[in-house]
Amino acid sequence: MTQTSFITKKLRTAGLLVIAGLIVEALSLVWNHPLSFVAFMGIGGLLMAAGILWYLWALVSYRPDAGDAKSAAKN
Amino acid sequence: MPTVVVLVLLALTVIFIGIIIARPEITAARGGKVLAFLALFIFPVFGGLLGLENHIERSKQTSFCLSCHVMGDYGRSLLVDDSSYIPAAHYQNNRVPRDEACYTCHTDYTLYSGAVKAKLHGLKHLYVQYLGTPPHPIKLYSPYNNRECLHCHLGARSFEQGAVHTADAQTMADIKSNKLSCVSSGCHDTVHNVTQLDHVKYWKPVQ
Repeated sequence: MTQTSFITKKLRTAGLLVIAGLIVEALSLVWNHPLSFVAFMGIGGLLMAAGILWYLWALVSYRPDAGDAKSAAKN
Repeated sequence: MPTVVVLVLLALTVIFIGIIIARPEITAARGGKVLAFLALFIFPVFGGLLGLENHIERSKQTSFCLSCHVMGDYGRSLLVDDSSYIPAAHYQNNRVPRDEACYTCHTDYTLYSGAVKAKLHGLKHLYVQYLGTPPHPIKLYSPYNNRECLHCHLGARSFEQGAVHTADAQTMADIKSNKLSCVSSGCHDTVHNVTQLDHVKYWKPVQ
């Protein structure tokens, strides 16, 4: 697996986790019930935190390979 | 912050993340990297904080407190047609904001910790409501502190110059130092009194 496809996969996973968290948080905001706060923090917050951490981990673990360096130079 | 604004921000964040997911190759360019950082870090954190603030504000509402079955009688007590009922007199005469009546009297007016402590207690209440057995009648965690009354009444003419309050200097000092409770027997001792709610008249608010 190249580094580009590695980070692509990681970004997609992080994005999906954050989107899932955001959707749960949005639903909790329109649900007027005491349990909505638990859903917001316990489900939405956890999913979002997992997605953000996954994204940050992808950033720090990314090592550009030769092909990436060339395309970065073009950009 | 209005809920709709928070929802719009969350929706925009989902759209930006959708772009990253659909075309991850754009993150090879600097603009794409910035977009990814905003969409996957800055916006979600900012939106999450706004959502948290929105939840905390909503949890102060009277309707929120009364949405638990166990609180129903306490809500009824706000409408008792008897001015000796302290919560009813405060609620009906707008001495507390009606939409935040419970929170106004039952939060701790201490620097910083009031709302946080109330929220933590709220989580405990949820646990008892759904996984335990709520006590009947419910009880305060600690005796009602005069600090909560004095938050509004301190300095008010009716309090500072009240005949009973000023009967002797020690009484006023004891009230202010919480040695003599405002809700002591013989003082303002009729509070929610939920066991008597079937024997009282009720006030009907004008719509």
